[in-house]
Amino acid sequence: MDNQQKLTQTFVQALGISPEQVTDGLTYNTIKEWDSTAHMILIAELEDAFEVMLDTDDIIDMSSVSKAKDILAKYDVQF
Amino acid sequence: MTDTVVNVPIIEAYQVRLRPITVADLTCLRQWRNSAFVREKMVSTGLISHEQQLAWYKKIATDPSQMHWVIEYRDTPIGAVNVKVFEDDDSVTSAKILEPGLYIGEPRYQGNIVAFAPTLALYDYCFSVFHTQQFHASVKADNEAAIKYNQQLGYETVSRGQFVTLSLQKACYERQTVTLKSLLSRTGKTK
Repeated sequence: MDNQQKLTQTFVQALGISPEQVTDGLTYNTIKEWDSTAHMILIAELEDAFEVMLDTDDIIDMSSVSKAKDILAKYDVQF
Repeated sequence: MTDTVVNVPIIEAYQVRLRPITVADLTCLRQWRNSAFVREKMVSTGLISHEQQLAWYKKIATDPSQMHWVIEYRDTPIGAVNVKVFEDDDSVTSAKILEPGLYIGEPRYQGNIVAFAPTLALYDYCFSVFHTQQFHASVKADNEAAIKYNQQLGYETVSRGQFVTLSLQKACYERQTVTLKSLLSRTGKTK
């Protein structure tokens, strides 16, 4: 499984949405499934999936799928 | 009420800084307070004029029953937070029950998890430095986001009507906010 597939699967599991919904444009708080509770679960699952520990500014900045890729890239996760 | 200027402390925690409101903040605060996003969630939904705001500012400066702060994140104001005593004839520092108020005016951070940071910083401070034993919140019944926000802090519903009233005990707050606090108080490092 490549990193893009891993990212999609993590969003699907954390938010309880379909893989088709996981596009770069998907944004925090624009669907009911991605609220602040789900955001905390998402952070935990991303950290487990990619073996990183995000800092608080990154957790706050992770406002979309696209932004998640940018942030994970800082932790040497390539897409 | 006295004429002494209320000593509002600076509070820093969870990546945000809460500092007393100054005259220089008033224009920005009024724009935020009058924005549709903020105004429609308030009990009083009318537009605030410059004169009304000045009168409010003079009042809060010497009113020990309320404290107001500007929220800064990354050295930039993003909103405002306050506490008021829930019953009369008391001061914020000595009251057992406080009623909080919060809005995030900066659109980029509205609905963002960072909106929890000023509340965590403020509640920690009130529970540890003031005599606060409980918070009491009153939220419009159709403001589901605010109700959920409060529930995530550990608030429990007391009554439902046009407004939903909620109350928060310290023990419940501490139990409920462990994960939030952990996420909002990290420094950068890799696993």
